[in-house]
Amino acid sequence: MPDLPKKKVGIIACSGEEIAEGTVTRLAALQVLESLRPQQTVTICLPLFLAGGEGDRAFARFHPTIAVDGCEKRCAARSTEMYSGKPAVSIVVGDSVPANSAGLGSARRLNEAGMQAVGQVAEQIARHVDRLLDGKWDRRSGQPLASSLPQEESGTRQATCSCGLGVPVQTLQVAGREVTLTALPLIFAQFREVGKLPSDSTKTELMRAVKIYNPVPSEEEAAYAQAVMQEYAAFCRGSS
Amino acid sequence: MKEKVLIVPCSGIGKSLGTVAREGAYAVTEDLCPERTKLMPLALLVLGEEETRAAVSGAKAITIDGCVRACAAKVVEGAGGTVAHGLQVLDACRRHPDLKPSGIAELDENGRKLAQALAEEVKGLVENLTEEVSHA
Repeated sequence: MPDLPKKKVGIIACSGEEIAEGTVTRLAALQVLESLRPQQTVTICLPLFLAGGEGDRAFARFHPTIAVDGCEKRCAARSTEMYSGKPAVSIVVGDSVPANSAGLGSARRLNEAGMQAVGQVAEQIARHVDRLLDGKWDRRSGQPLASSLPQEESGTRQATCSCGLGVPVQTLQVAGREVTLTALPLIFAQFREVGKLPSDSTKTELMRAVKIYNPVPSEEEAAYAQAVMQEYAAFCRGSS
Repeated sequence: MKEKVLIVPCSGIGKSLGTVAREGAYAVTEDLCPERTKLMPLALLVLGEEETRAAVSGAKAITIDGCVRACAAKVVEGAGGTVAHGLQVLDACRRHPDLKPSGIAELDENGRKLAQALAEEVKGLVENLTEEVSHA
């Protein structure tokens, strides 16, 4: 796998506005994004899978993703799988916090129990983030070892929202039809940066990287490889 | 009044504007016109189950989007609903330049005032829509 831009975990909350548990998902996700693991996480609005472009839909194919749902309908987990990619983890608030909606306050304003639930779910999400990133942790304190994770920047912390950013994609002609490949611009940039010139060995490595983020039918692999190499050669010419 | 107007806010999580949209929607559906409106969570529409699509189909919706990507309006239309009015929080910000919102988990005072102003606008639109229905 190429050393693409820093791997982060995607958090997708259902944000269900009708029930208190939906508010718990949103605030818990925000707590992870802003306070608990700001350097390791990124989010995207669930509706962007429908309303956004291919780059938005590539989100869960690019990032290992944690879906956080307020109820058993599991809108976030199921929609993410339907439109983007299967979440690595699916959390349902009711499984973690055995209380009914009334016990948590209202969807508009959580009560003290609701805010405690936010903290519990946020901690659960953070543990999954650490596991997915395979970070090294002090198992007694539950805190990251100083050298194992990127240092947080000082100053105001803000949730990293992927709205409008998405994952870069590139469209190629493969065997006479258009195919959009996720993360291809990043892969090209990375290969070029380390000085890999277009060659047969580079082709093999490129295709290995491409297949991490994109389904490539085995019967069309040669056509994909040819198209990817043509684009990479053009990319190298353009960036030299 | 038989059909309630659906109020569909953006479910944005990373910006204050999404919170303003949501708070405005709560103010409309819980405080200003609870009898005439119903809050519709966007996540249910994204999932697109038949039951939800049926509830949206034929109903009039007012969408409140937090950014120009207009997820709420696009998803409602995609689910077969009718967007009677598609509002943008950014437009409300332009109409109320003194109310620059901040805060995501919890809005600051400006954000709360902006959400309330937005809710009042929506209330007027709901009244027009429901009057149109009753006169039809």
